[in-house]
Amino acid sequence: MSHLRGAVLFLAAALLQWWWSASLAVWGLTPQLLLVLTVALAARVGPTEGMCYGFLWGLFLDILRPDLLGGNALILLLAGYGTGALRRQIDVSDPVSHCAVVAMMTWAGFLLYGVLGAVFAEGFIWAGWPAFLLDPLYNCLLVPFAGMAAAWLRAR
Amino acid sequence: MYRETQVSNYVLAVLAALALVLLSLPLSAPVRAFKAAAVYLLHPAAFYGAKGEQRLAQVPPRLASLLRADLENVQLQAQLRETLWQKSELDGLRAENHRLAQALGLRTPSGHTPLWADVMERDPLHWYNSIMVTAGSDQGVTLNAPVFGDQDGTLVAIGRVAEVRPDASLVLLMTDELSSVAAYLSTSAVEGLIQGQGGPRLRMNYLPADVVLSTGDLVFTSPTSATFPGEILLGRVTAVNPHDPFLTFQSVEVRPAADAAALNHVMILLAAGPGRPAAAPAPPKAQKPPPSPEAR
Repeated sequence: MSHLRGAVLFLAAALLQWWWSASLAVWGLTPQLLLVLTVALAARVGPTEGMCYGFLWGLFLDILRPDLLGGNALILLLAGYGTGALRRQIDVSDPVSHCAVVAMMTWAGFLLYGVLGAVFAEGFIWAGWPAFLLDPLYNCLLVPFAGMAAAWLRAR
Repeated sequence: MYRETQVSNYVLAVLAALALVLLSLPLSAPVRAFKAAAVYLLHPAAFYGAKGEQRLAQVPPRLASLLRADLENVQLQAQLRETLWQKSELDGLRAENHRLAQALGLRTPSGHTPLWADVMERDPLHWYNSIMVTAGSDQGVTLNAPVFGDQDGTLVAIGRVAEVRPDASLVLLMTDELSSVAAYLSTSAVEGLIQGQGGPRLRMNYLPADVVLSTGDLVFTSPTSATFPGEILLGRVTAVNPHDPFLTFQSVEVRPAADAAALNHVMILLAAGPGRPAAAPAPPKAQKPPPSPEAR
């Protein structure tokens, strides 16, 4: 049953991210739902689960992007790992700290993706200042829903 | 907790290595095809993004071409308007040339000098009574000078000068009630008096009562006319009026040979004599297309 829920969450989140990016982008900005869910799963369920989900979701995002294959997978993998590491220090399941972690991971993700572009592609891949400044806030709005999804997955 | 950390480290190592391998993979043709297929399945519009971008890239040249076509269209429309005006002018000149060529072949009575003038005004209230022409005393026009028109190369009497101004003259048409001229019928050679009726028709009175009259006879000016030279066409008999037993003469209805309302140029016959200003023998050269009758 847990695996079924996991599959449902994985597919639903991936499709929701794709649909949101394709249809509901506001000024080119879309929330990074998969990043928020990865952080939420790593915080509430466990770093291993978060890393696995994040890696797969990252591959899904990489398929949709033309530049790097594996970049988002590595970023979400590290986001899950970092959240797991933080979980041992602070209570990241708290909404406020969860938002802080999401914001920090978002910025770190932007920068890391740029660096990966510089290393594995033709140059630093910059998402733009609007996305860099507003996406963390956008992502924080999804924190409660991501927490609910993680709690639903964790429920036995 | 320790075990969880250890597992997560292993997972991190494996998946990170896998991600790095994927990152290190060149975007070869199979990888590109796989990504294209996935994108097409999830978002076909994105698959056509490159084509759309190519089409959008062609927008500026097409827009420039459209603007050039629009400018060219404006210029061509202006040229077309100019061409239409030139065509109208050419048609007018052609008609003028035709008329002048016919006028050159006209045989004017000897001892007279022809003076051509344009019709400059028609009074709608006196349509069949008079016209104003662009020749006056400065050109040698005198009172009662006969005025002719050109009808298919034939000189036709249309009236006489009734008022003379320095640069214009009023021509009293044959169809005016006050006009009359001695005339004769071509077949019977009997003389009568052509009188205007204030309408499009003339009436020829004082024809002998014993003469058989028929329609279609041509009517010419009589040599006995004090105003017109003889043998000038006036019109054609269209009807013979019933004989009135109380009158000693007959009358016929005559249709004028020239419709004065359709004439644009007239010829005034000047009597040659000492002290008279020299009149231009040739018709006036057309400098502009003939104005329409309504404009007068």
